[in-house]
Amino acid sequence: MTYIELKVAPRREERLGTCIEFGGTVGEVHRQFCGGCLKNRSRSFSQGTICQLLPATAILTSLQDSVVIVHGAVGCGGAVHSQGASVRLGQFNSGDKNPKGALWLSTNLSESDVVSGGEEKLKRAIIEADKRYRPSAIIVLSTCVPGIIGDDIDGAADALKEQVAATILPIHCEGFKTKIMATAYDAIFHSFLRNMVDGNDETEFAVYNNEAAVTAEKIRRSRLVNLLNVSSMTGPDQKELTRLLNKLGLEVNMLPCDAHPDAFRLAPFAALSIGVCPTHDDYFMSYLHEKFGVPFVGGQMPIGIENTSLWLRQIAAKLGLEDAAERIIQSETEELHRALQPLLPNLKSKTAMLSAGEIRTLATAVLLQELGMEILAVRPYHYDEFGGTEISKLEKVNPKIRINVATAQPFEAVNLIYRTKPDIYIGHNSDNIWAAKCGVSILPIYGTNSIYSGYAGAYDVARRIERHLKNPVFNEHLAKNVRQPYKESWYAEDPFKYIKGVE
Amino acid sequence: MPDNRFIERPRSFCSLGGALLTATALPEVVPILHTAMGCGGSIYWNQYGSTGYLGAGYCGGLAVPSSNIQEKDIIFGGLERLEEQVRTTIELIDGKLFIILTGCTADIIGDDVQSVVRQYRNEGINIFGAETGGFHGSGYKGHDTVLTVLASEFIGQKKTKKKNKINLLGIVPGQDAFWRGNLLKIRTLLEKLGLEVNSFFTQHDTLDSIQNAGDAELTVTVSDFYARKTAEALQDVHHIPYVTNPFPIGPTATEAFLKKVAEALELAPETVNKVIVSEKEQYFHYIERVADAYNDLDWQRYAVVVGDANYAPAITKFLADDFGWLPELMVVTDDIDEEDKTKINAVIESLTSHYPAAVAYESDPTEIKTHFWQVIPRRTDSLYQKTFSPGFVVGSHLEREFAADIGAGHLTVSYPVGNRIVLNRGYAGYDGSLSLIEDLLSVIAAQR
Ligand code: SF4
Repeated sequence: MTYIELKVAPRREERLGTCIEFGGTVGEVHRQFCGGCLKNRSRSFSQGTICQLLPATAILTSLQDSVVIVHGAVGCGGAVHSQGASVRLGQFNSGDKNPKGALWLSTNLSESDVVSGGEEKLKRAIIEADKRYRPSAIIVLSTCVPGIIGDDIDGAADALKEQVAATILPIHCEGFKTKIMATAYDAIFHSFLRNMVDGNDETEFAVYNNEAAVTAEKIRRSRLVNLLNVSSMTGPDQKELTRLLNKLGLEVNMLPCDAHPDAFRLAPFAALSIGVCPTHDDYFMSYLHEKFGVPFVGGQMPIGIENTSLWLRQIAAKLGLEDAAERIIQSETEELHRALQPLLPNLKSKTAMLSAGEIRTLATAVLLQELGMEILAVRPYHYDEFGGTEISKLEKVNPKIRINVATAQPFEAVNLIYRTKPDIYIGHNSDNIWAAKCGVSILPIYGTNSIYSGYAGAYDVARRIERHLKNPVFNEHLAKNVRQPYKESWYAEDPFKYIKGVE
Repeated sequence: MPDNRFIERPRSFCSLGGALLTATALPEVVPILHTAMGCGGSIYWNQYGSTGYLGAGYCGGLAVPSSNIQEKDIIFGGLERLEEQVRTTIELIDGKLFIILTGCTADIIGDDVQSVVRQYRNEGINIFGAETGGFHGSGYKGHDTVLTVLASEFIGQKKTKKKNKINLLGIVPGQDAFWRGNLLKIRTLLEKLGLEVNSFFTQHDTLDSIQNAGDAELTVTVSDFYARKTAEALQDVHHIPYVTNPFPIGPTATEAFLKKVAEALELAPETVNKVIVSEKEQYFHYIERVADAYNDLDWQRYAVVVGDANYAPAITKFLADDFGWLPELMVVTDDIDEEDKTKINAVIESLTSHYPAAVAYESDPTEIKTHFWQVIPRRTDSLYQKTFSPGFVVGSHLEREFAADIGAGHLTVSYPVGNRIVLNRGYAGYDGSLSLIEDLLSVIAAQR
């Protein structure tokens, strides 16, 4: 991967041909994406949504022993006021009884900074952050204002390298630079790879002066795996995946979310990197592979029963643990199926629409199919080659499932809901409300300290959908008593009317 | 918080955030953001965690129309995209008034938004534009900017003024998580004086009533600091004078407030006295039956109050002058100039209880702790020591950890309010102070 020499990771539009504007069926998206004609589209009507800064702050404020500096106007990092709740929960879950929450600073760029540049202010913030909090890492996130006025955040970081004890990680996540918020993942990993992951084995993990200790460490590393978590994964999700990997006899080095920066330093010495979301981790894992020879598996999200088994099989195959994996899969799935039996009759043929990040949406849809539910539509926040695997699975059951590629854009969702009338909408934080106002029951697709991943997640999602369907009156009343902002005529229109550039 | 320095965990929205929350709080108004794609989402996530889980409302949150300008628009100008977005918004969205709010990106590249506004106004569309890029300042400023645009361009000119009709300003949606309850309480109180009130953001306000607010006799701002430009615009454009008053919480402050309004409107003293007597009666109707526990269980507390320029002095005054608590320190978190500091200091200097509260101006949670430690004696091993116990911290959710560290009670009132749900609760006036008492004492009672 030659990108690493660049200051800024490439945009997903270029690197992967990722798109965010499509309406059709899963069969169509599959064929047309292969034809490569989904790029260069746009919407003539659009709604405010998520830029790459938002996932960046969600992931990075969760790091231990680190400070995030949002270099921009005072509002750019404001999302942390709510993201901080999960950070706090994470700290609480790991034993801190009076957790401090997310630690972040804003450089609060003002009118005069826009004129004279914000680099000096940023430098002062870095120096003060180093002194004040003595963190292991100082993460600098660049936003639109410094992106336009041309602040050199890499230069500022370089200049302070000697002066500051913490490792400085400049990260480019200016909102206007890319339509694909998932570019943030690349931007983050790019900076960690350039500034922290050096494969330098002089760390505490490697300095042993007696042979027995060295051998022990070698054995440990032969069973050490990097598990690339995502910010939409909860503590219980991480626990479940760790449980399964421990059953295989593996030790987990979890990163990036909730990790200590040392987890990044350790990463090149693992026996394997394991992704949980192809759209999230490919950049990091392929670099570790290229540079340090760490093999990886990354095609599969462990959400859904078959998907979890497949995930385990792929991991086992890389480490020669196939037999152990089959035994685990058999006993786990038997127990799960027994547990699911009483729930399934209540889920049978219930209809669903899903909306969130690409793989999350598609994999959760596959899980619902396994539970006997019918998928009416999926709304991945973007689409690229990584979506193909899950799309094929959905297509096999029903090629006519509708797909609406959109980063939120609830106006399209609401139109689709009126057409298809799902029993339940399984959506992303903040876009659920628009389905709720249509009177549909909601299961949030991630978060709330619940479990979604692995076998335990499959059961819990089933249990929670059943719970929601038991009493839908809250949203039914809501629909009867509040208005959507769209004119009546909208519901008779093609939901994809405002997508431009369709041949 | 001087602007040459970073801010740790800021205690306000940016100008755009304040503007958007103001626009979505107005009846039948549809905002159109002219920003990069993430501003809408950032503000929505922010309001969730800072404004008591405030939802999107009619056309806010991720439904807000937004031009989502990209790099090419930044290079070549974003007006073409904006023009298209306004056209499709009018086609698709049911709104009576549209207001374009610009973000950092559009303001830096200098898009001439007014040209788009003019174009659609000529077509008969009720549309306005406000320059609200985040780098212009805080959410309080964005709020003032939007209302100033309405005051100068939307509110109709009226030749004659209507006796006893007023405009109410000074409560900032979003920056004040309790804005709905607070506004309604003040409005109801003023109505008891026989006034007709345009309060912009309550369920009793309509776009028509706002447009017709030009015949008000007076603007009453329940803040010495916020919405100042709006009050000035109402004065300059519509010749409506204004009075400002510290945000009133509790009987002592509210009585003074009512008298000030009555005086400015030349109301008969009997009118206002009657209201004061009956409101006080109501207040003590409830107080009488919490007084047992207050006394039996020794519910007097030392206090530290951290809040914006409305809340900090208002709560400090209530605690000191009505509730008999001991506010040792008041920290005002806004970035305000020396002249305004004198106004806040005046509130503290004129406390009727003469309680000697220390005053600090600081937003940074780390620095605020330093201020705490200057007034709160550290615990020692001695049997005989003067401690900050029993103590209470009234502030934002950022003070939670500190309060727990020193074993003090804690209630979140001021931004960010991420550990409470706020619907119709408000702390203003007589009635609101009863809610404040409920909330303060419930924290203590919850430990029983
Ligand atoms: S789009 Fe730009 S200005 Fe808006 S929140 Fe994202 S980084 Fe900040």
